[in-house]
Amino acid sequence: MTNRLSLCRWCLGLIFACLVPVFRTDAGEAIVYSHFANAGPLNPHLYSPNQMYAQELVYEPLVRTGDAGDIEPALAERWSVSADGLVYTFHLRDGVVFTDGRAFDADAVVRNFDAILANRARHAWLELANKIASYRAVDDLTFELTLTAPYYPTLNDLALPRPFRFISPEAIPANGTSARGIDAPVGTGRYILAESRLGIHDRFTPNPNHWSGAPAGNDIVVKIIPDPMSRAMALETGEIDLVFGHGQISYDVFAALRRNPNFETAVSDPMGTVALAIHTGKSPTDDRRVRQALQHMVDKDAIVRGILLDSQPRADFLFAPDVPYADVGLVPYAYDPDAAGRLLDEAGWHRRGNGGFRERDGVRLAIDLVYIGNDAAHKALAETIQGQAARAGVFINLQGVEEDLFLRRQRDGDFGMIMSPTWGPPFEPHTVLGSMRLPAHADFQAQSGLPDKAGIDRDITGALESTDETDRAAAIDRVLTILHEEAVYLPIHYTCLFYAHRTSVLAGVHFAPGRTLIPFEDFRKPGSRP
Amino acid sequence: MTALPLSAGRRRDPLLWLALGLLAFLVVLAVFAPVLTPYDPNAIDLDNRLAPFSASHWLGTDHLGRDVLSRLMAGTRVSLGSVLVIAGLVLGTGFVVGSVSGWLGGWVDSLIMRICEAFMTFPTFILAMFLTGVLGRGMTNVVLAIVLTHWAWYARITRGMVQAVKGREYIAAARLAGGSRAGIFTRHIAAPVLNQMLILATLDIGHMLLHVSGLSFLGLGIQPPTPEWGVMISDARPHFWTNPGLVILPGAMILLTVLAFNIPGDRLRDRLDPTLAEGRA
Repeated sequence: MTNRLSLCRWCLGLIFACLVPVFRTDAGEAIVYSHFANAGPLNPHLYSPNQMYAQELVYEPLVRTGDAGDIEPALAERWSVSADGLVYTFHLRDGVVFTDGRAFDADAVVRNFDAILANRARHAWLELANKIASYRAVDDLTFELTLTAPYYPTLNDLALPRPFRFISPEAIPANGTSARGIDAPVGTGRYILAESRLGIHDRFTPNPNHWSGAPAGNDIVVKIIPDPMSRAMALETGEIDLVFGHGQISYDVFAALRRNPNFETAVSDPMGTVALAIHTGKSPTDDRRVRQALQHMVDKDAIVRGILLDSQPRADFLFAPDVPYADVGLVPYAYDPDAAGRLLDEAGWHRRGNGGFRERDGVRLAIDLVYIGNDAAHKALAETIQGQAARAGVFINLQGVEEDLFLRRQRDGDFGMIMSPTWGPPFEPHTVLGSMRLPAHADFQAQSGLPDKAGIDRDITGALESTDETDRAAAIDRVLTILHEEAVYLPIHYTCLFYAHRTSVLAGVHFAPGRTLIPFEDFRKPGSRP
Repeated sequence: MTALPLSAGRRRDPLLWLALGLLAFLVVLAVFAPVLTPYDPNAIDLDNRLAPFSASHWLGTDHLGRDVLSRLMAGTRVSLGSVLVIAGLVLGTGFVVGSVSGWLGGWVDSLIMRICEAFMTFPTFILAMFLTGVLGRGMTNVVLAIVLTHWAWYARITRGMVQAVKGREYIAAARLAGGSRAGIFTRHIAAPVLNQMLILATLDIGHMLLHVSGLSFLGLGIQPPTPEWGVMISDARPHFWTNPGLVILPGAMILLTVLAFNIPGDRLRDRLDPTLAEGRA
């Protein structure tokens, strides 16, 4: 009997021993978020696999983008620009230290610029990297940047999540470049990467010495959940506290959460556009009438209603109207299958018999549409467009490919149409326009067949270098008008971020200006220490 | 080809007849799918998405408003068609290569068997995934990948059977009687071996169907909008909680089809496998 009792006790003890770690992890303190992959090596000067949201948490820029798209001080308290637009002088914030104790000063800025520009070719997509002539530390807290030509979005480019952010010079490898990695992720930001377990989670702790003097908030645990459906279940079971961003959960799940009174949800303003880039240099889309017909045959309202479940607004133009310089008074292409049919007939693509696909000289009217195969949202869009185009007699050949191949096909122009999402603030419009001039993404290839591609590129360069507001607006107006009239893009919907969390679990959740930043420092768990 | 000795168990085996009936039903579905489907399986109707079972849509609609019943029926054609092509190709390749290897022997045999072993080293599904990665997506490539990963097993078994039969007394007798090599091979070796291999292939068809559906589920197989059961399950995953039928129905089709092929295959093996037959005797 005693033996049996002690066995029971032993078993109970074992059960409790197993439960203790369950209760201990993340229960009270940390805000639990999830992401599809680990934060990466957290190199502030490089791109994927470094995750932008994490780079934003750990590293800071000289200036940042404010709520209204204006430029606000960050590590630079104030700045001035010379009359010719070539010399930028930044007065750095005093008393800022990296989390390893090293002071943030003009020397640290110079050494970061050295590290970034040692790898200049990698940053060629970003015009500022091409425009920097020289830079120097004037004194301990003054940094001077000189350009080869005026470039109006200089401050915007400096505000981007990468590459112009600052790591402790002690963490830059001895050869002075960060192109092959960093020694440790040491920034000045609000958070410190405390732990990273591959495929399991990343943990960020608040930086107690942050210059803002803000009280330290909760830890942040970012669980690695690659699949949106698993993420939805994790939110349901309380394994994570919130979803935040675009594509974190499906539109259907979000629509269900919106109806659920236990959850607080919100949709942001438009932050980017999901559009198809149409190749202007390849048959059959080298004919403008075919491209315009495509615009008329896609019923975007049905897509917004049926697939996006009204959580994302219809897009008529490449940039949302509230993007700077983007509201140029163009007339949208309306959903009009008859007009599409007329344009295709004019272009020589005729229906043979009833309901079949259109043909010209015995060739079927077929267009490849390339998308990322395992992106459920893009797949649903692609299939719907395929169905709508089929009604107009156009065969859309869907090609779902994996992400690396997708990006390569964007760059190489190996597509008829391809998903081409814009990047949202703070990248719009100047960074997106700037990158249209070289084959970094789909834009250059899609536009390559336009008769005056050189003129478009000249206008973009002119707009970026102009110091005159009216000239700049006029140049961007010309570019956007040509792209719209030539029907190079088929905008489908504007991208809005959304968040959802149990009302009882979190408070103070809101969107940040820009798409990459999650303002965790304002989120609070009721009941945890302030 | 000799008649398959199914008749012995006819009365005592309702399961077998159920499976055969199901098989016949599936074949009819596959052949006549374009006539039988109540709707165009690819017709999108976004305003009527995720509809429940109803008189107009017996099995409801999917996330794009397509009729599920029509897609299941059309999917039968894709799945059965691809699997039969795969089985035919695997059997053909495996039989030819294995016969050459077993009949000729010597260094040809060694070479072919080493190649087979190289293919057999890897789990077939992983190798098939790798091959579709290299060849690109699409049904043709899936068929090719599955054939490339499976022929070696058939070649090896054929070779073993050919070698076993080659040593039998009646072959020696046929040779003494003045039969040509080709004649002896086709009449006394190929026919019985092919019979056995056919049975093996029926047993394997379910397994191949799972491969096809598995690769399609992963997005490597057939490209949208063509309905295929694996793709349908994959598409329905995000809606599993609200519309479980979208996952369960194509899953049930796969299950039933695999069973419909496996049960007769199983029975055939029971009848024909000499070792099992001796055990019963």
